[in-house]
This record gives sequence, structure tokens and C-alpha cells, in this order.
Amino acid sequence: MTSRIRQIDFAMLGAIAVLLVISFLFIYSAGYQTGEGEGSELLKKQIVWALIGLGCYAAAAAFDYRKIKPVHWWAYAASLLALLLVFFFPEKNNAHRWIPMPGFDLQPSEFAKLAVLFTVAAWLSNPSTDVQERKHFLIPFALVGIPFLLIAAEPDLGTAMILLPITIILLFCAGAPRRPLLILIGGGAAVLLLVILWLRFFPDSFPFLADYQKNRILVYLNITQDPLGAGWNKLQSQIAVGSGGWFGKGWLKGTQNILGFLPRTVAPTDFIYSVVAEETGFAGSTLLLGLYTLVVARCMRAAIRARDLFGRLLAAGIGALIFTHVFINIAMTVGLMPITGLPLPLMSYGGSFMVSTMTALGLVQSVYLRRRV
Amino acid sequence: MMRVRNIEQNGSPRRLYAVMACMGVAFLVLAGTLFRLQVARVSQFESRQKNQSLRRVRLPGIRGKIYDRNGLCLADNRPTYSIALFPEEIRCSGAFSKTVDRALEVMNEVTEITGLAPVLSRVDIRKHIDFYRPYPLVLWRDISAETMARLAEQGGDIPSVDIYTQATRNYPYSPDTSHIIGYVGRADPATDEKTKYSYYLPEMGGRAGLEKLFDPFLRGEAGAKLLQVDVGIYRHGELARRPPKRGGDLRLTLDMEVQWLAQEALEGYRGAVVVLDPNNGDVLAMLSAPGFDANLFVPYITTRNWKMFSEDSGKPLFNRAAAGLYPPGSTFKPLVGLAAATADPAAPRKVYNCPGSFQVGKRTFHDWNPRGHGKVNMRKALEESANTYFFKTALSCGWRPIVEQARAVGLGKKTGVEVGYEEGGLVPDDQWKRSDGRGGWSAGDTCNLAIGQGFLEVTPIQMAMVTATIANGGWLYRPRLVQAYCPPEGETFIDNPSRRVGKMAWPADALRAVRGGMHDVVMGHNGTGKRAAVEGLVFAGKTGTAEYGRKSEGRKHTWMIAFAPFDEPQYAIAFLIEDGASGGMTVAPRMKILMQGLYEKMKKEGRIRRTEDGGQRSEYFGNQYTHSLQSEIENLKLAIPNSSSITHQSSLSPGGAS
Repeated sequence: MTSRIRQIDFAMLGAIAVLLVISFLFIYSAGYQTGEGEGSELLKKQIVWALIGLGCYAAAAAFDYRKIKPVHWWAYAASLLALLLVFFFPEKNNAHRWIPMPGFDLQPSEFAKLAVLFTVAAWLSNPSTDVQERKHFLIPFALVGIPFLLIAAEPDLGTAMILLPITIILLFCAGAPRRPLLILIGGGAAVLLLVILWLRFFPDSFPFLADYQKNRILVYLNITQDPLGAGWNKLQSQIAVGSGGWFGKGWLKGTQNILGFLPRTVAPTDFIYSVVAEETGFAGSTLLLGLYTLVVARCMRAAIRARDLFGRLLAAGIGALIFTHVFINIAMTVGLMPITGLPLPLMSYGGSFMVSTMTALGLVQSVYLRRRV
Repeated sequence: MMRVRNIEQNGSPRRLYAVMACMGVAFLVLAGTLFRLQVARVSQFESRQKNQSLRRVRLPGIRGKIYDRNGLCLADNRPTYSIALFPEEIRCSGAFSKTVDRALEVMNEVTEITGLAPVLSRVDIRKHIDFYRPYPLVLWRDISAETMARLAEQGGDIPSVDIYTQATRNYPYSPDTSHIIGYVGRADPATDEKTKYSYYLPEMGGRAGLEKLFDPFLRGEAGAKLLQVDVGIYRHGELARRPPKRGGDLRLTLDMEVQWLAQEALEGYRGAVVVLDPNNGDVLAMLSAPGFDANLFVPYITTRNWKMFSEDSGKPLFNRAAAGLYPPGSTFKPLVGLAAATADPAAPRKVYNCPGSFQVGKRTFHDWNPRGHGKVNMRKALEESANTYFFKTALSCGWRPIVEQARAVGLGKKTGVEVGYEEGGLVPDDQWKRSDGRGGWSAGDTCNLAIGQGFLEVTPIQMAMVTATIANGGWLYRPRLVQAYCPPEGETFIDNPSRRVGKMAWPADALRAVRGGMHDVVMGHNGTGKRAAVEGLVFAGKTGTAEYGRKSEGRKHTWMIAFAPFDEPQYAIAFLIEDGASGGMTVAPRMKILMQGLYEKMKKEGRIRRTEDGGQRSEYFGNQYTHSLQSEIENLKLAIPNSSSITHQSSLSPGGAS
């Protein structure tokens, strides 16, 4: 046991711990603006979630990831069931995303991401699977497609979309042929371009997307500015980040946040990075980016050194999951991508995501602990 | 073994490294973007951030004070207490109309406590919430101490309401000083300043009188404060403050004691009084009646009050003393005498017969006394205000020297005294009359000019200046109202020197005759101004009754000019009452009130020399002047052997001042 502990990837664990502490500091700062103790209220809850998360991390690290393989279908089925269940509960913020639980709201899509990851990784690492075959190449997309549609129907297009790059990365890491992958990526880009052009010239006739989603894309493309409406968050987040300068305005001194220009509903959640960037400047925001790089790199290192393909795909998939969240969240914060409601792993306020992220990272540790020596 | 082979076959780490490299590149793109935003374009975002969260508020300068010559404060800044509502405390989310509703509720709560009826309408509040949200909304202005106490006692549970202090211009001695000091009104800062500030507090700008004339000097320099506002443009806090600077102070030559005496003397009449110090031109008093309370203009005048003032036939806002144009009537005669003597040195010694009427061409000029004055010299003519004497004098010397002298002494143009608005009056001549389309100058015009009628128009301050010049022997001073000034932010007063602008070249004997005549106006038995005489004080004067308007209406402005004491003049006065009966009847008794007061003041301040018998010893009068007077009387006796009317003159010999 002691030898096991000595084999733990302490670099990653340390990075996670530092990220959690930063998260506590800036969730407090983001909630501080209301001046009614909301900061400390949020902080308390987040600490509780982080502790639960650490528990899950430890449990997952101790747990042999290989035991997932036989049960992954159950996890997959359970998550589909949970994703169906959300529609039986009343809407909140115009969406069916949560299952109310005593004391908190469960967001099944966060766990569904992991379940899908397990299933795809398990399926791809199955010895009988040959990704060179077209049928086997397409099955992962079918596996991802069902939860994708369910999550998109909530609606939570941002979370649903994140499944696609992860699937592609998994296929790539599993050795799928390059050509169909490139065609897929190219085709995706072409579809995106088409959507953009359609939105650009005939925004009213575009199906599938709600008005607010169309607006976010239009704002992102700088086609409409609408700084007081759909463009508000993008503009204010950019101002918050940009006015941070080299070293920021200091902790609890971010005016964009204190004065409410960053809406107080999103400052501790999706826009927590704006708060950090404003208060700690370029120094702090790149430090944070560095910590995420470390976490993602250690995930990939675990994948490289994994004992088996399942472990490799699991660790690589989790690394990709973390990376995609971090990239999309920060990119939207700095105005590189349209606003999507994706949280920043380990930073954003929110219980379900904290627990699922910590569990996933625990599994990476588990893969690492059981690596080839 | 199978698994290991799997790894080597299906997923070489090369692909993982490729994925890592892509991720690294993506994070580098993010880092690059962060650098571009936070380092390269930081100033742009900083200024945007400031633009949206900072508001500059202009704080008005601290207006300078105005004192009288004894240090009495005539215009100062009084702290006024207002009940203000702080919008950020009552903000409601959602539509602003909710916040407006809340403001109305709070206002009603305060009404219940204080009993003050609301003065703001919903529209007013809405306007404030829409445009001045970071700024307190004044619900009630200038509340009483009692209201303040009641609010402090019971209003503690209304946190959004507080007492708010503002400086308000205050004129403690208005209306006595209103025409001189003028008043301020709410003013907007200059447009170039408007763009610099998001909000500005109402500032007081000079609207009339000294407040207007010296506005840039008194105004002070605006300060500013930097407010931080939140996303709802509600006040979040104050970041910085540049305190406003104090404006300059003025110390006037005005002596409020004299001003009050003038006020007492003019009480109940419509007219003006100007008291000058003949030795330097200092304006010791300048009063126009009816007056007005300048405090009614601060911070702004109500429509009702403005209507009251503008519809008042007495024109209370009008400064008659400096801008009222009146024919001087007989008060002009001393100047006519001096002018004639300047043109013809023999004039003071000439004696003319003065019947009750005088024919010039087809016009008959009537004397005020139908029985006439008999044969009189200049001195006697002044005492009795004999019109015919001056007709004859003027006709003999012509109108030109009179016009020249009148202009030389300052009539027909503004005196330059520091008042907001002054008139220059009119000294008519041939050229003017022609250009005015009234034909050429006639002998009748000369006669009118000789008695201060016709086209001649003067202001009371001009007449006071003429009086001062006669009193001091011909020195011409520009009337001075500002004695000293303390520059903005300064500590000590800097003297504003009086300005001597000329010397009249009046022959000494003419001056003696004129001054003697003016002496007799007050002191003589037949003097037209003897109702002004004050026991114990020797002074000189001249009454005037100037007809104006249509002859049939018989309307008259009545005058008296005077200087006192006779031998060493300290006061030169012009006293005008509109629509009086005559100078001697209407003004002289009022002049007496003023003179009595001035005499008491001079005695109190030890500024008058006394003789053993209680009267003044008049060195000037006693030595040279009386000497020549004696010879003058001799001349007169020779010319008019049985004139009993001049016998009293002998009583003016040394020591025998009555």
C-alpha cells in the first residue's frame, strides 16, 4: 500500500489542490459583490463539494479502473435514464437540466459525460473491435449520439457539443484511420461555416437553434454587437480580463465583478476565469492556464504509460474532457468563442461538475497507479 | 499479453503526443490572446472599464463673500439642509418604475414623520432616476431645524434618506443692499466643462449687480469628485475628490450705517439716494426704492415672485441710483453757474432782475415763484432757485460752455461705478438735436438747459458725483464701490485705489459763489432747502423739481443734492424722489433725516470739529470764503440798495453760523 502511495502522481495532485484553493478564493471574491455574505455562503458550499470531490478522487484512485469495463453498460444505461428523468422535473432557467435532490440539484449530464467516456473507451479497447472497419468506426458515434441528443434537448447544447471532440480524440488515440477522421473534422468545419453563413444572412429562418443561441453566435462573429443584450457578457468579460493588466487589480478588487458588470449569476460559475483574470492580471491568468496544462499533461502522461488500451483511452479521454472544458471556457471568456454555458473544471462554482471532475481525475490517478513499470 | 500487443498495435504513443501537441498549441493560443488583452490592449480596456464605471461630478466653487467697509458681511454662503434620498439604497431590480415607486413610498414615509407636503412629482423622481441615478435626489430643500430634529429622531429606520448639506447664497441685509450686490441664480457651467463631467451640481452664477459684474472673480474654481457606479449606474462609492476652490472676496466702500440712514430717509418713497465721499469718490451709500429681497432669487426665483416683481409698477428690481434717468431740474443750476463763470469770469458778479416770467422768442418760461425774485446775483439766485437768473446767464454765455462743463464733470456718460447696469444719461447739444430729428438748437433749449430741464437726463449717481466735485473744489473722482479685494484663495485684501480722473478749471470766485448759494439753500431764510437744515450742522445743498412727461399731467421728479459739513465736506449726496411735490417740500425733509443721522455719526466718530458754542468752526468759510462773501454782499448791496432778503447773509460771518 505504501508503495502504491509513493507511486501517486503528486504533481497532478498538487496542481489539483492549488486549483481548488484558487477556486475557493475567487468564488468568494465573485460572490463578495453582493455584500450580503453570499461570497462566504458560496465558498462554504464549494468547500463541501470539494471535500466530497476529494473523497471521490481518493476512492476512484484506489479503485481499479479495469473493474469499470464489466459494468460500463450499466453506467451508460443509468446515465441515459437520468438524462430522461430531467424532463420530468420542472424547468429552471428555461431548461430541464437538473434533478432536484435534498440540498442540491443533480446535473446528470455531468455524469453522463463520464459514462459515455467509459462506454466508448471500453468499446474501443475491446479486442474484437477494429477501428479500421467502417462499422466499428461509426459505432462510437452512435453510442455518443443518444446522450448527445438528450442533452441537447434539455437544452444544453454546450455540454452536448463537448462530447464530439472527445469522441474524435478517443478514436484518434485508439488508432482509427486518419482519413475518415479528417473528413469528419473537415465536414464539421464545413457544416459550421454553413451555419454561420446562414445565420449571417438569414438568421430568422435558421432552424434548431433558439434565438439566444443564434444571438450568441452572431455576437461572437461581431455581426451584431448588441452590447446591452446578447453581447453584454462577452463585452464585459473581455473588459474584465483586459483591464487586469500585468498583475491585476488585487483580490476582492475586481470592479467589473464588484460593480456587477459581470452578471452576478455567472461570475462564480461560467465566468469565474474573468474574475481571476481581472483580479490577478496576466500573471495570474497564465499561472492558472499553466496549472491546467500540467493537469492535462499529467493525464496524457498517465495515458502514455497506461498498462492497457482501456486505461490509455480512459486517461486520454479524461484529459481531453478537461482540456476541452478549459479551452472552451477560457476562449469564451476572452472572446475567442461564442458564449456557451460550459464551466471551468475545478474552478467554477457547482457541485455535480466538481464531483464528476474529481472522480474522473481520480480514475486517471488510478490508471497511473496501475501503469506499466 | 493480448492487451500489451493491443497497445502497441492499435494505439502508439505517437498519437498521444500528437494530441498533446495540439492541446499545447491551443493553450498557447489562449495565452497569446490573454497577452493581447491584458498587456497589449490593457489601456483600451482600462478606459472602457472606467468609462462605464466612473462618473465625474463637478462641485461648484466656493463663492467669495462681499463685505461693507466696516467688515459687515453683505453676501455670504449659508449652509442649507435638505432631505435627500439616495437612489442606490432603494434600487429595485427590474424596470426603473419600480424604483420610482419605492422612492415615492419613501417620500410618503418622510412626509408622515415631518409633515412636509411633497414637492416632487412622480415625473420629477422619474427624471432623476433616469438621468441622475448615482446622485442623491433632494426631496425637500432648505428644511428647518425642527424638521431636521424630527427626522433625526423618527426617521432612523429609513436608511435611504439622509440630510444633505448645500451652500446657499445669502444676503443678510437684503433688501437694503439688493441693488448694489445684485443676486445669483442657478447657472449651468460652460459647455466645454459639461463634456468633462457626467454630472454637475447646480452652481450659482451672478445675475445682477456686483454678483454679475464680478462673477468670474467671486465664483471660485470648481472641484470634482469621482464616483464609482455599478452596472445599474447606481452610486457605489466615491473614489477621489478635488476640493473646490474659494473665490475672491470683495470689500466695498459702502458703509451700511449710512446705507441704513438712507433707507430710513427714503422709507415709503420711490426714488434713490447716493452718498459719496467727496474726498475720494467712495460710494458710502447707494439705495434705490422700492427694493426687493435678493434672497428670493436663490437658488431660483419662483414664477409667482418673478411675476410679482415684473408686474410691479414700482419696478423694484430697477436700480434707480445708477440706471434711472431723470432731468436734474434745478440741481443742475450750480453747474450752470460754474460753466458761465468758466466762459465769462465776470459772470459770478452779474446781477439780473428776475421777474415771475421770462419771454424767449414766442415761449414764456415761468418761475416757480410767480412774484419773481427781484434783482439777484448768482449766490442769491441759487438760494432761491431763481430760474430767470439762469436763463439770462445761459443766454449770455450760450449753451456750449454749459454742455462742455456738464460733460467735463461726467454727465452724459457712465460714471464707471461698479454696478451691474448703469446708464450714461444725455447732455444734449445742437448736433444731437439735429441727428435726433428735432431741428436746430434754439434759445428755448438753452433756457431749458439752464434749469436742468428739456432733453437733459442724469442719474442720481452722476448728480452725487457733481455734488462731490463742487464740494471738494473741483476734483473729479470716479465713484468707487470696491474698496479692496482678496484674490481667490488669498489671505489678505489688496487695495483697489480710488481714481482721480480730473480737475475742473472752475474760477475760485465762481466756486465760492456757487458753494455760498448752496449753503444758503439750506441755511438761508429764503433757502428752498431749509427744511433739510439740521441743528448744529452747517451744510450746503440744492433742491430741484424737474417736470417730466406731458405738461398737463404736471408730474415732477424731485431732487436735492447736498454736501456736508460745509467747510470740510465728508458726504456728497444726491437724493431723488419720483413724483414728489417739489424738492424743497418733498425731499428736503427726507434729506434732513439722512443729514441728522450723518451728523450724529460724525459726532460719534469724532470726525467733526466743534467750536465752543457747539457749532462748527469753519476755517475755510471764516477766513477766505467769508471775506469774499462780504465783498460779494457789498456788491450786492450796491446793486440792490433795499434788498432786505439778503440781510441775513451777515449772520454767516465767522462764529455766527446758525
